[in-house]
Amino acid sequence: MDFLLRLEQLGFSEWIRESSSIFAFPTVLLLHTIGMGVAVGISAGIDLRILGIAAALPLAPMEKFIPLLWIGFWVNAATGVVLVIADATRTLTNPDFYVKMVFIALALINLRLLRNRVLRDPAIDKAPLSAQAKLLAATSLFFWLAAITAGRLMVYVGGRDIG
Amino acid sequence: MNPAHLHLVLNHFPTIGFAVGLGLLAVAIALKKDELKRASLVVFFLAALITIATYLTGNAAQASLGNRTDLSQAAIRTHEGAALWGFVLIEITGFMAWLGLWYFRIVRRAANWNVAAVFVLGIVTFSVMTRASNLGGEIRHPEIQSEQEGAPPDVSNVPDIARSIGLFVRGHSWVWPACKTLHLIGLSLLLTVVLMVDLRLLGMAKKLSFAALYQLLPLGILGFGMNLVTGMVFFIASPEQYVKNASFHWKIAFVILAGINALYFMLMEEPWAVGPGDDAPGFAKLAAVSAIFLWVGVLFFGHMLPFLGNAF
Repeated sequence: MDFLLRLEQLGFSEWIRESSSIFAFPTVLLLHTIGMGVAVGISAGIDLRILGIAAALPLAPMEKFIPLLWIGFWVNAATGVVLVIADATRTLTNPDFYVKMVFIALALINLRLLRNRVLRDPAIDKAPLSAQAKLLAATSLFFWLAAITAGRLMVYVGGRDIG
Repeated sequence: MNPAHLHLVLNHFPTIGFAVGLGLLAVAIALKKDELKRASLVVFFLAALITIATYLTGNAAQASLGNRTDLSQAAIRTHEGAALWGFVLIEITGFMAWLGLWYFRIVRRAANWNVAAVFVLGIVTFSVMTRASNLGGEIRHPEIQSEQEGAPPDVSNVPDIARSIGLFVRGHSWVWPACKTLHLIGLSLLLTVVLMVDLRLLGMAKKLSFAALYQLLPLGILGFGMNLVTGMVFFIASPEQYVKNASFHWKIAFVILAGINALYFMLMEEPWAVGPGDDAPGFAKLAAVSAIFLWVGVLFFGHMLPFLGNAF
C-alpha cells in the first residue's frame, strides 16, 4: 500500500489526476479510447470475417492490418500505465482491473494463435475455414468485449468518475 | 441564432425530405428506373442524417423557451413525444436506405425488398411526422388548431415517452453503464470499417480490392446504429448535459459531415475501380483522409463532453 501511495503522490501522477489542463487526464484517456477502437476494431473485423461476414473478402492480406492493431495496443499499454499510476491506490486495489488484464492477456494469446494458425495458413483462402479457426475468432471477440466491459466498469466499481 | 431558430430551420428537412423522397420513389417504381430509386434512397439517407440535428435542437429550443409563460409547456411536451416517435421511424427508414445504397453497390441494381421496405416505412413515417410537425406548429400558431378543440387540450396526464425513458434510465442504475459499454463496442465496430477501408485506399493491405473490403460496411452500420440508440438514451435521460455543451454541437456536426462523406464511397465510381494491388486515385485518398479525420473528430468531441462541457 505504501508503494501505491508513493506512486500516486509522484508529481507526474498528481498532474495527470488534478491538472485542469486538457492535455492531462482528458488527452490520456482520449488516446486510450482511440487505441482501444483501433486494436479491438481491427481484431473484430478479422474475427467477424472468419465467422462468415463478407465471405468474398480474402483473409490472408488482412494480416497487413495487424501491425496497426499493435500500434493501438502499445498506445493503450502506455496510456494505461499512466492512468493506473495516477490513481494507483484505487486502480491497483480494484479486482475489476485484474479481470480486465486477464482478458487482455487472453486476447493477445488468442491473436497470436489466430495469426499463426489461421491467417498464415497458405490454404486459408482456398478451402472452407476450419472449426478451429471459427472457434478462435469467437473467443477473440469474446475476450476483447470482456476486456472493454471490464475496463468501462472500472469507472463504476471503485474507480474515478471519468464519464 | 438561438437553438429555437436553428430548430425552426432544421425542422423542415425531415418532412420536406421525406415528401421529396417518397415522390421520387413512387415515380421510380412506376417507371422502373433504378437510378431514380437510388436518388430517392440518397434523399432518405440525408433526411435521416439531418433529422438527428433536428431532434436534438428541439430539446435545446425547449430548454431556451422553458420560462416563457405565453407558450403552452404541455403543447411542447406533446410535440416532443410525437417527434420522438417520428425520429425513431425516420432513423429506421434512413438505415434501410443506407443498406439499400450499399446493396446497390454489391449487386448493381436496386433490391425489391429494400425498395418496398423503404417505401412502406417512408409512408408510415411521413404520417407520424406530419402529426409531430402540426403539434410543433401549435406551440406558436394556435390558429391552425381545429375550431372544435378551442383551448389547447390538457396533456399533463398524457404518458410522455421521452420522460418515461428518462425515468427508466435514472431509476435503474445498470442502464447508464451498460449503454456506455455498448457505446464503446459500437465505436470499435464503426472504426473497424473506417480504418480498414480508408487505410486500404491510402495504401495499406493493397492486395485487397476496395469492393472486397467494403463488404464490411454492415458492421459499420451496426456500430453506428448501436451508438445512435445508446447515444439517444443518454440524451433523452439527461438532455441538460448536452443541449448547451459546445463539444456536443461539434460532435453532431461531425457526425453529419461524416455521413455526407460516406455517400462519396457509396455513389462515386472512382474508389470502386480500385482493384487488388491498385493505387487509389488522389480524390479517393482525400475522401479517405477526411473520413478518418471526421470520425476521429466525432470520437474526440464525444470524449471531450465532460471536459470541455458539463457532461458526465
